[in-house]
Amino acid sequence: MLSNGSQNDAKFRVRIIIGIISLLSAVLVFHLYWLQISNAEKYSLMSNKNRIKLLPILPKRGRVISADGKIIAGNVCRHKLVMDRCGEKVFHENMELLNQCLDLTDEDNMRISDLRKTKIPFIVIKDGLSWDEYAKLSMMLFRLNGVFVENTYVRDYKMPLEFSHVVGYVSKDVGKMQILSGKTGIEATFNRQLVGKAGNVQTEVNAAGKRVRVISSEDPVDGKDIVVTIDSELQKYVYGLLSLEKAAACVVLDISNGEVLAMVSVPSFDPNLISGRMTYSQWQAIAHDPMFPMMNRAACCSYPPGSIFKIVVAFAALSEGATSPQDKILCAGGVKLDDRVFHCWNRKGHGKINLYDALKFSCDCYFFEAAKKLGINAIVKYAQKFGFGAETGIEIPNESAGLLPSKQWKFLRYGTSWKPYETMLAGIGQGALLATLMQSAVMLGKLYTGNYDFCPTLIKGGQKYVAVNPINREQSAVIIEALRQVCASGTASRSCRTDYGISGKTGSSQVRTIKSHEVGMDQKLLQWKMRDHAFFVGCAPNKNPRYVVAVLVEHGGGGAHVAAPIARKIFDRLTTK
Amino acid sequence: MRVFFPSEFKILFVILFGLLLVSFLGQYSAFNGCWDGHVQRHIVRIIAGVVVMWCIYAVDFKFWINFAYVFYAFVFVSLIIVDLLGIMKLGAQRWIDLYFFTFQPSELMKLALILSLARYYSLLSPLEMTECKYHISPIFLTLLPSILIFKQPDLGTAGLLLCVGLGIVFLAGFPLKIFATLIISCIALCPLGWFYLRDYQKNRILTFLEPDRDPLGTGYHILQSKIAIGSGHVFGRGFLQGTQSKLNFLPEKNTDFIFTTIAEETGFVGALFVLFLFLSLCGYMFWAAAEVRLRFAKIMCYGLGMLVFLHVFVNVAMVVGLLPIVGIPLPFLSYGGNAMIMFMIGCGLVMSAQKKY
Repeated sequence: MLSNGSQNDAKFRVRIIIGIISLLSAVLVFHLYWLQISNAEKYSLMSNKNRIKLLPILPKRGRVISADGKIIAGNVCRHKLVMDRCGEKVFHENMELLNQCLDLTDEDNMRISDLRKTKIPFIVIKDGLSWDEYAKLSMMLFRLNGVFVENTYVRDYKMPLEFSHVVGYVSKDVGKMQILSGKTGIEATFNRQLVGKAGNVQTEVNAAGKRVRVISSEDPVDGKDIVVTIDSELQKYVYGLLSLEKAAACVVLDISNGEVLAMVSVPSFDPNLISGRMTYSQWQAIAHDPMFPMMNRAACCSYPPGSIFKIVVAFAALSEGATSPQDKILCAGGVKLDDRVFHCWNRKGHGKINLYDALKFSCDCYFFEAAKKLGINAIVKYAQKFGFGAETGIEIPNESAGLLPSKQWKFLRYGTSWKPYETMLAGIGQGALLATLMQSAVMLGKLYTGNYDFCPTLIKGGQKYVAVNPINREQSAVIIEALRQVCASGTASRSCRTDYGISGKTGSSQVRTIKSHEVGMDQKLLQWKMRDHAFFVGCAPNKNPRYVVAVLVEHGGGGAHVAAPIARKIFDRLTTK
Repeated sequence: MRVFFPSEFKILFVILFGLLLVSFLGQYSAFNGCWDGHVQRHIVRIIAGVVVMWCIYAVDFKFWINFAYVFYAFVFVSLIIVDLLGIMKLGAQRWIDLYFFTFQPSELMKLALILSLARYYSLLSPLEMTECKYHISPIFLTLLPSILIFKQPDLGTAGLLLCVGLGIVFLAGFPLKIFATLIISCIALCPLGWFYLRDYQKNRILTFLEPDRDPLGTGYHILQSKIAIGSGHVFGRGFLQGTQSKLNFLPEKNTDFIFTTIAEETGFVGALFVLFLFLSLCGYMFWAAAEVRLRFAKIMCYGLGMLVFLHVFVNVAMVVGLLPIVGIPLPFLSYGGNAMIMFMIGCGLVMSAQKKY
């Protein structure tokens, strides 16, 4: 261009430069088109993801309230200091300010820096801020980037030991943010009503994570309260009685409406600990406790029912015509079957006794004979009618169904045929037979209401049963009369003879075969694990039966000595109220 | 009035007015719509720039022809001073602190190089221009400051200076075949230059080649910039409504990434408009170069036109992710005095050249 001699060459060079400029400009325009038109959706989404943060607003979990209006499971507010993930510089600025108003220990700092290495979107700086710290922080908060106080509700259980097995406990589910969900008891069964619905708030945040403004929000729906049928005073009283034993359980039913007035299992645990404030060693202590404190012994553990099962066998014998109330059977201290002798608990024998006396003194021989006459099928039939071998439907998860052995069960389980002696053992509630304490209480409830459809409930106005399967009054009256005599002059007469009148049945179920040298031995001399389970199921008052009490003392020894006195105290309290 | 706004520069004034208006609005938005000291300072710079442009225009054009080498020598010495005692800022030595403002010799070097190359070629005879040996000294004039700036380290400015210098040498008539050979061998030798780069520069280039390498570290800037531009769509999020820039996701939104701020808020249409303004300015300078008779003025105008375009291209290509981040400001629009004054001087020179053929 600049050499006049070669004008064409100069123009050519300028054109090359202009060509390059046009080409590069076109590249820019096309790339802008690609970014802003072709991929606009993608980048808009990324932009919104940058700035919009969706935060849940947790609903308040519904409370559990006792029949007498006490809040058993409530919520308490806890302030938690949380920091979003942020850059190194912002982090150090934040920590410097935070150290001025919080006493962060070295351990805390270690934990925080460890958390920073993970991919968790936010770091909990401190949980459970005191009011003092909260006030100081509130003054400081506007200077901090991406740091905020979160108010969370934690479960607060009143009377934790008394109610632990009924109410259960809650914990956070993995991957479900911070919503608590019930794990056992009422908390688990009614989790859906209790949990409510989480709301959310969309906030705009800046690059440092500081919240700039709220875009939209949806209010949470709080959970519904659940009113249980348990009377807190009674529950406390029963727990006080049982806690003297190593392991025990008790169920108190109001048979007029099926409500469970008390349900206690000992030993117990503190659900406050498990619901989120527990150290590893505390959990280990509970989980590996040889007494299994988390087991609900009232509804979720099965035991051989022992003599209390005789009520069912007696009823079956009357109904099937195997015996009549006054038919007498000779008890000589034992029954011989093939080569084996099956002893009565009283080796001297009860002599010739009828049904009333057999129940009164809990004669084993009478029921061996009755069982032999009935056969296992008839026993199972009536046991099923009285609710054995199936869950009672109480509103507690993992309820045990117990075990009702039959020929079929034996064959499927062991592949061998049913032996006659097993029928005899079933007649006295031993052998393979297993039942929960709740089933025993419900059995008595069915008997006294005269209705096979009786079922228990833990919820006020909960399960209402319709009476369609009445029990034959004639036969049930005989049994009830016999049970009255048990408390008036029979096995339980020492502890249960009262003005208002109790009717019931004691039981001492063996947990092993008694060796010959141990006959008549004092149970207290035996190892705890070897002792009999002590049972008592009863109903009072006699005039107008209303309350069923079932007591179990695990390895307590004799039912009459250990379980019946406890039941008596409970009855006293119920009737004088 | 004619003295202040000579009517023959109507087109240039319209383009400049457009750019300065965009500049003001862009900075106002990038400072979150706050009428604070920063925005006021920017306005002062715009006004100072216009005054400087007018002063340059007022000076007799012959002065620049005579002054070119002196100017070059002065800026070159300044560059050496920067190397020796310049203050440390952002890990790079680029400034001399003059108390009332920080002086950045590398910006002025672009002008000085264009002027001195124009001066050199204006004295060559046409025959000499076709010979290789007469082009050796211009190449040295280009290479020496480029190396000094590269050592500062400022890879972007050094490369830009080299491109402008070589562009002028090419236009001046450097034999085509040798020029092509030189360029190709330079490109082939590029990988060797890798070993002279600093770690952060290597990181930038690696990130450019593979943007997902470190999205929260070195890749953060470019990713956030692309998100901002992309989310602008056709008409943008609206003036002062850009969330990426307002909520500080975008780094350096006032300086290197001012184009991103504008593209986010005004969309594809706004971005094209800004590019159109710059290309018009560049085209105006090329047109002026074709019009003027003096060879010195011709070369100077072509050089300035290329300088404007290279600045715009490198900056925009950088923020849209086509080039590594090298810290080249967008003419007139980026916050900062040195570049603003430099381009205003450039405009003044073009006007001056047109006044005096």
